[in-house]
Amino acid sequence: MRKSMTYALAAGALFGLIGVSSAQASDAEASMLANTCNGCHGPDGVSQGPAAPTIAGMNKFYLVESMKAYKAGTNRPSTIMQRIAKGYTDAEIDKIAGFFASKEFGRVAMQKTDNAAAEKGKALVKDLCESCHEKDGYAAEDYPVLAGQMLPYLRNNLTDFKSGMRSIDANPNMSDKEKRKKKRTLSELAEKHGDAGVEAVLQFYASRK
Amino acid sequence: MSNMNRRKFLKTTGGAAAVAGATLAAPSIANAGSHGGKHGKVVVVGGGVAGATTARYLKIGNPEIDVTIVEPNASYHTCFMSNEVLGGERTLSQIEQNYDGLTKMGIKVIKDSVTGIDAAKKTVMTKGGTKLSYDHCVVAPGIDFKVDEFASVGDFDKITHAWKAGPQTAIMRKQLEAMPDGGTVCIVPPTNPFRCPPGPYERTSLIAGYLKHHKPKSKVVVIDRKDKFSKMGLFTQAWKDLYGYGTDKSLIEWRSAADTGGLDGISAADMTVETLSGGKEKFDVINYIPPQKAGMIAFTAGLTNDKGWCDVDKTTFESKVHKGIHVLGDASVATKMPKSGYAANSQGKVCAAAIVNMLAGKPVGTPSYVNTCYSIAGQDYGFSVAAVYRYNAEGDIIAGVKGAGGLTPTDASAEMRRREVEFAYSWYNNICKDTWG
Repeated sequence: MRKSMTYALAAGALFGLIGVSSAQASDAEASMLANTCNGCHGPDGVSQGPAAPTIAGMNKFYLVESMKAYKAGTNRPSTIMQRIAKGYTDAEIDKIAGFFASKEFGRVAMQKTDNAAAEKGKALVKDLCESCHEKDGYAAEDYPVLAGQMLPYLRNNLTDFKSGMRSIDANPNMSDKEKRKKKRTLSELAEKHGDAGVEAVLQFYASRK
Repeated sequence: MSNMNRRKFLKTTGGAAAVAGATLAAPSIANAGSHGGKHGKVVVVGGGVAGATTARYLKIGNPEIDVTIVEPNASYHTCFMSNEVLGGERTLSQIEQNYDGLTKMGIKVIKDSVTGIDAAKKTVMTKGGTKLSYDHCVVAPGIDFKVDEFASVGDFDKITHAWKAGPQTAIMRKQLEAMPDGGTVCIVPPTNPFRCPPGPYERTSLIAGYLKHHKPKSKVVVIDRKDKFSKMGLFTQAWKDLYGYGTDKSLIEWRSAADTGGLDGISAADMTVETLSGGKEKFDVINYIPPQKAGMIAFTAGLTNDKGWCDVDKTTFESKVHKGIHVLGDASVATKMPKSGYAANSQGKVCAAAIVNMLAGKPVGTPSYVNTCYSIAGQDYGFSVAAVYRYNAEGDIIAGVKGAGGLTPTDASAEMRRREVEFAYSWYNNICKDTWG
């Protein structure tokens, strides 16, 4: 990994300032903004499914990154989020992200998954995905939670990574080394293991309770 | 932030996020309410989207507030997705919501009708003879129909409105099932403003979808009382893509008010619709969606304006007529939000936050509103309109943020239209959970 400590510290200080200003605002304001999302993403960001993703319990940075990508309309395809994200200032996005990051990622949707495929996916995930999406995809610390995420959502995103519509290269928050690693992993999954391998990985994550 | 390492960044800043998270959970301190113990008492009239959301978010905002909903029905059939019941994609029970989730939160749900509200004495009277005192009353009665020369309430058994979901939806579905192949369905959408502006056209689409697969010699004729309608470009495109619109084999025919010269008469006895320039026409199924006004209790309580809707403070939804009474959802004038389920849900959260703060003696806070409205035109064919709003004090409007929101692009790919349907179904499940628990 590229060491960018100075930059991280500078950004961390900035992040801290934003944290202070949102803490000074009333908690109703963060909840007021965030609660408007619940109509599509579920109460406290826990989705009842079938497709809209759970956003509760994701790391704040990932939520901010996603909203800003939607807002910029460049590297993250969507049906509706590009239109919604443009309605918020960066400071508001920060508050919304903080709100949902503080909630627990719930797994309440009754997703139908394929046990045999999920079992096959277990080995693939360990080999290919675990080094970033740790703890079988339950970890939220560094990367988005995948365990128990909505199956159609996961499938749509792998489709978009493959087609290039969701562009890893255009992600401003990844180091070159991270980009190379992610692209290598995704192409290995697709080329070595084919559609059945991709589906097995999807089934594994979607079937986590 | 180029080349910044995400993992490093998070390790460095994780502490700040945790602190921010903790402050969100800080409990609010409530002041005394005069009618329901020290935290205040709220009576909610109506258990639809606006009423139920307000009740739920009052309890989320401060669990100590005494919240009572008065609702005449034991359950609620959502208007949204009721067009799928008409099309046969869903059953009526799949759009039925009950009040168990609200009861579990400690909200009292009384099965009764409100007959009057005394704004001076802060009391709600019910048909069952109960008197409920309140600190704040939330009136969310939805819509009622203007009884006009074209239909009286008695006609709705044969000529349905199906614009309040439930038994009406079931009647209309049965009529569609009973209709022979080669029959014609007539839909008469209302004049503006009305509940769910794209609804009549989604209905047209899904009925056409049913006919396409089950009664291909049949047709839907829309005799509109307007010259344009919500999501018109997207619907027209969908009708061309799916139902042969514009060809002589079209399953859909849409006539504007200009085309027909306007509606002249509807007869339930003869099953005819008459227009000024088109004369009388016979149909197998007629769906007359009447012009609308606020639900009856809004009139009884003196909350309506001369157009039959309720003017409110758009940051609190408190009535401009009576202090302490809030009106929201379809019954209110919430310009420029449409009369939609998402708008009612969003307004419920604004209203609840305002009441929680008012009861606590705090400023009401800055509101934020969203509307998202999906329409399904056929299998794997959906589209949406969205808006993020802020309150604009100069214009006294709930104004859409410039550059945000808007419609699904007309050049959206088939894959994106398919995803819109997935998200429409997700939206249904999530908004129902968010509203009724």
